[in-house]
Amino acid sequence: MAEKNLAPEAGAEGELTLERVNVAPAQTWNRLRTNDITLTVPVRGRKGDVYFSLPRLFEGVECGMGGAVTDWVESQARGARYVEVPRDEKREEPIVVAVGSGDVADTGVMVRAGAEATIVVAAGDLTKVTGSSVRSGTSASLLRVIVEAGARVHLHEYVRVGSDQQHLESVGISAARDARVDVHQYLLGGGTVALGLACDLAGERARVDLGCRYHAGGTEVLDINEVVRQRGRNTRSELSYNGVLEDAAKKGLRTTIDLVHGAKGAQGNEAETVLVLGDDVVNKTLPTILCDEDDVAGNHGATIGSVSPEQLAYLADRGLSRADAEQLFVSALYEDALMHAPCPEARLLIGDSPQLTETFDEVEEA
Amino acid sequence: MSEERKRTEVADVDRSLYDFTKSEEGYERYDDGLTPEIVRAISAKKDEPEWMLEMRLRALDLYHAREMAPNWGPSIEGLDLDHISTYVSPKTKQAKSWDDVPEDIKDTFERLGIPEAERESLAGVGAQYDSEIVYHNMREEVAEQGVIYTTIEDALHDPKWEPVVHEYFGTLIPPTDHKFAALHYAVWSGGSFVYVPAGVTLPYPLQSYFRLNAAGAGQFEHTLIIVEPGADLHFIEGCSAPKYYEANLHAGAVELFVKDGARLRYSTIENWSKNMYNLNTKRATIGADAKMEWVSGSFGSHVSYLYPSTIMAGDRGTCEFTGITFAGATQDLDTGCKVIMNGADTTASVSTKSISKDGGVNTFRSSVVIGRHADRARCSVSCQSLMLDDISRSDTIPAMDVRNATAQVGHEATIGRISDDTVLYLMSRGCSEAEARTLVVNGFANPVSKELPMEYAVEMNNLIKLEMEGAIG
Amino acid sequence: MSTQLLNVSALSAGTEDKPILHGVDLAVGEGECHVLMGPNGAGKSTLGHVIMGDPAYRVTAGSISFAGEDVTELSADKRSLAGIFLSYQAPVEVPGVPLYSFLRSICQMRPELKTTARKFRQRVGEIADQLELDQGFLMRELNVGFSGGEKKKIEMLQLLLLQPKLAILDETDSGLDVDALGIVSRGIQAYREQVGGALIVITHNTRILERLDVDRTHVMVKGRMVAEGPAELIADIDARGFERFERGAGQDEAACVDCPGCPKAGDAQ
Repeated sequence: MAEKNLAPEAGAEGELTLERVNVAPAQTWNRLRTNDITLTVPVRGRKGDVYFSLPRLFEGVECGMGGAVTDWVESQARGARYVEVPRDEKREEPIVVAVGSGDVADTGVMVRAGAEATIVVAAGDLTKVTGSSVRSGTSASLLRVIVEAGARVHLHEYVRVGSDQQHLESVGISAARDARVDVHQYLLGGGTVALGLACDLAGERARVDLGCRYHAGGTEVLDINEVVRQRGRNTRSELSYNGVLEDAAKKGLRTTIDLVHGAKGAQGNEAETVLVLGDDVVNKTLPTILCDEDDVAGNHGATIGSVSPEQLAYLADRGLSRADAEQLFVSALYEDALMHAPCPEARLLIGDSPQLTETFDEVEEA
Repeated sequence: MSEERKRTEVADVDRSLYDFTKSEEGYERYDDGLTPEIVRAISAKKDEPEWMLEMRLRALDLYHAREMAPNWGPSIEGLDLDHISTYVSPKTKQAKSWDDVPEDIKDTFERLGIPEAERESLAGVGAQYDSEIVYHNMREEVAEQGVIYTTIEDALHDPKWEPVVHEYFGTLIPPTDHKFAALHYAVWSGGSFVYVPAGVTLPYPLQSYFRLNAAGAGQFEHTLIIVEPGADLHFIEGCSAPKYYEANLHAGAVELFVKDGARLRYSTIENWSKNMYNLNTKRATIGADAKMEWVSGSFGSHVSYLYPSTIMAGDRGTCEFTGITFAGATQDLDTGCKVIMNGADTTASVSTKSISKDGGVNTFRSSVVIGRHADRARCSVSCQSLMLDDISRSDTIPAMDVRNATAQVGHEATIGRISDDTVLYLMSRGCSEAEARTLVVNGFANPVSKELPMEYAVEMNNLIKLEMEGAIG
Repeated sequence: MSTQLLNVSALSAGTEDKPILHGVDLAVGEGECHVLMGPNGAGKSTLGHVIMGDPAYRVTAGSISFAGEDVTELSADKRSLAGIFLSYQAPVEVPGVPLYSFLRSICQMRPELKTTARKFRQRVGEIADQLELDQGFLMRELNVGFSGGEKKKIEMLQLLLLQPKLAILDETDSGLDVDALGIVSRGIQAYREQVGGALIVITHNTRILERLDVDRTHVMVKGRMVAEGPAELIADIDARGFERFERGAGQDEAACVDCPGCPKAGDAQ
């Protein structure tokens, strides 16, 4: 692996513009500005540092945000963390990647055949956990997971960074025969949050179930690019997105189900529901299905809108005004995140969200 | 008159109807390639107003300044403008009677059934052969209502209509739109100008037919239609060409202005041969309470980039898009539509079907943009793709950009093949496998074919049937 | 008679283009159990929705007072907070909101029900058990993908949780489904026993009322109240149908007598 020192000056703080990253495999009209995102990230000169990198094997794992982000993370991460879950072991303790403000993490997880593991990425203000001080700026997590035959992986991603913060999250998963991966994403705000996930269903009957719930308000920017390559026969992907956008939030969601030639019997489904509550919201969606095989089924559905009059009437009959009803959708999202939080780091991240009707302690108590 | 009929590979069996060529002998054909001299020559031949020549020359500069290939869409590497003649004209004057059209050209259009359709079910017909319109006629009762249906060239020579053309031409699709829009404006020739006065409803459709006979040539017709408030028009556009091994190029432009309360239905059956690069641009702008209906059948061409667009500027406008694309061997068809909803209470519905076989590539590409002020806008997009074998390809790339909190957008897409169960079921009721598959495909295409004028619907069903038989036999 | 709770007086209402209710009177005392019957299309459901404050209907004359206050102009959410509850025949699906979050929200809005998470969870659990509702449902999205019977249970769960002063159960068609019938019967019994609130059961099927202690029965035909009587009226209708009321009610031919599975099923919308 080439050493990736992108900043020429030793110890200097510089900036790097990552042009057109988080790109979907198929592009469309550039004037829609929905193909990619351009991000400016800090670069610390690390001349003299030793680079600890992951086993080479991980270089072959496609990551959602693309190669430029991978290179940048590798050049900036203090170290690379490699975790291996041995064959047929059911690992109880979650593998937690805690990404505090300004942190850059590079993680590789090898889940051997028949093993089972839970991985949690928690990005945001983790001072309560780590005791580190809050820095404004950019945090990032690069996570690559190799899931061997018959193994199971539960991946939880919790992102809630400050409105003056930027977070990059790039995930790459390679799933072998009969591997099963479920992904639970809660993207609950941040000045700029860019997330890319690529999942290669390489082996027969490999399956990914992905549920992504997001909320953005104020002037937050959320950019998501998720790609599932269905290469193995009878592979299956189920992607579901459910989000609420308020105020002047900007969201771009690109999803791609790639039904590769030879993936006989593959099925891919994708669905998105977006609730738009703000007058200045920009909500972009590019749900792509690429199909190079006939014996497959690909489906996509999207619903974008406000709370329907029927729903409002029903909720009003139970005592909720329009404002109450709209807030219900937002708080439900945070409550859901809290209820499904797999570890204290994730709970802490959202426990003090103003959107929650319950306080963190109350839920803990329950 | 010399003529050769070509029968090429099996997959082309359906196109035999279109696949005949006529000699170009004695035609006026400009040099291949693209230079200011050629542009000036075209303009001079048409004896155009100065503003049009200026527009052409500006567009030529734009064309040279733009990148050839976008970062998306099918490859157009096989297209070399240095080997394409942008202007080929038969040596004939535009006729008002088929009897005055030269025999071989008349024979061409008779084979395509145009004069027959004109007698039976059309209010007017325009027929373009290579770069020039060779026939243009409209029923008298329609003309009496003040409807204008002529060529842009003739409109430019009419003091009454020249200012109208000047006002509208190139405003909806500007030469800056993309590289091939620039090319179009540099070398455009032929096409139609239609003006329907306020409140006038045409009892029958108008139809323009575009035939590209010459090899290694381009067709760049411009269609400009103005439907005044409360008026109603159905316009049909057909196109075909014989097959050559040299690349042909079609880069037309269609600009449609549908005013308040007016309705326009624009039906297209495109049957270009498989050496055609079809880089066509179509756009409509519609006013308040206006209705735009697109019906689009794409069967031919080697490569297509085709996305009829509708700008819904006024409140309460409606737009319907119904399309089908059939991609067979050697075809890479990137089709779809764009809807820009700016008015309040506007409604748009898009329904497309695509069929891929024999290694054909279909891409459905769309964009729905709902602006800030489009309160209560509603849009639904439905896109279904049928794969007939495992060597073909079908991609769906629908973009949505919603900026209004009260808008409702629904989108659904499905890709799959004819289920074995369905085939088995039909076979158990006595159909052969081929019949069963044809039945299913016809059923799949039916929602589109029923929107087409009768003779085209029949033609489309025959096309699909023949293609299917070719595939199975 | 006990203290007046609901008083509907000379109420006329309808949709934007169609009048449905004509001068309807209805008085319900605290804790009373009333039955509102009538053939399909009589306007029973409409009356229920108008009492609830459904914005789809416009009141053109008359008034509705509840607990001594005129609520005619009040929005539905205010009426709900005041203690009126309307169960839906077909509850609306609300994707994105788990049932539990929804229940928690509607209880936390009400000072008298506000409680800690622990106590709330316990209470919801108890009611769910009582209704034989699997607690796994609490994490699912509100009404999304629920069966008819499950939706009914969720409505009853809300009824028991919110403890309204007046519950209007719109069960016009539930007589058609044995399961739903049982669920609603159990829900009503629990409500009467545990909450002691007033009840208006809208139905044109009498089986639902078999185990119920009814105070008054009202009969509606073509948007008008045509008869009012004691509980015994139900048995009478059960035996003889609505025909005699319909004859009295109007000039138009009776569109439809009470018959389960009637093609015209569903009250005027």
